[in-house]
Amino acid sequence: MTKHILVIDDEPSIRKSFLTALEDTGYLVETAESGEVGIEKLERKKYDLIFLDLNMPGLDGVETLRELREIDKDVPIYIVTAFHAAFTDRLKTAAADKIDFELLKKPLSSDQIVSITKGILDGATITYRGMP
Amino acid sequence: MIQLRIYVVDDSKSSAKAIQELEALLEDKFSGQYSLKIIDVLVEPELAEVDRILTTPTVIKVAPEPEKRIVGSLGDRGKVLAGLGLV
Repeated sequence: MTKHILVIDDEPSIRKSFLTALEDTGYLVETAESGEVGIEKLERKKYDLIFLDLNMPGLDGVETLRELREIDKDVPIYIVTAFHAAFTDRLKTAAADKIDFELLKKPLSSDQIVSITKGILDGATITYRGMP
Repeated sequence: MIQLRIYVVDDSKSSAKAIQELEALLEDKFSGQYSLKIIDVLVEPELAEVDRILTTPTVIKVAPEPEKRIVGSLGDRGKVLAGLGLV
C-alpha cells in the first residue's frame, strides 16, 4: 500500500527538495506552504509521516505540532531544524508536555532524505557519519 | 565490550520505543558485554553536532571498530544487528 508523506515548509526550495528526492521511491508526497495549510490537509486525510519545519511565519513549527497532535496522536512527526540550542530549546516545552515528535536535521541531501525516510517507514537503514 | 550510543528525543514515544527495543535486543544477545549511552538531542545538541547526527532516533556502534550507525525503526532485529555489524 502506498505510504503518504506530508511536508510542511514555507520555503519552496525545501518543499521541492523533498518532492524531488522522494519522487522515485513509491511514496506519495504532498506539500503545504504553511502550518495552517498543513493542519487543513491533516483534517481531511491520514498520512504515514509528516516533516514539519520549525521556523515558519504565521503558525510556527511548535504551534503547528500541537495542532497536528490534536488531530492525529499517532502519525510520526519529524521537526526539521538545525541541532542548536537556540532552536532545540523551543522544543523542550512541547517535549515536557508529552507532545510526541522526533527531529530531522537541516539541510539534508537527497540521498539523506531518501535513506532516513525509508528507515522511518520501512525499517532500520544504515547511514554513515555525515553521509554523503 | 560493545559500546553504543542512541540519540533520541527523550520524551517522545518513538524514541522510547526505540530505546526499549534496542535494550531488549542487547540484553538477549550481548548481556553483560555492552554499554549503551542514551543522549537527548534537546538537552545535548552539541553532542549531536559532534557526532553529525541527522535524525532521531539514531544508533551508533562506537566499538568495536568500524563505527556503524542506523536510523529509523528498530523493530526488525535482523536489520538492526546487520546494520550495526553485530551479526
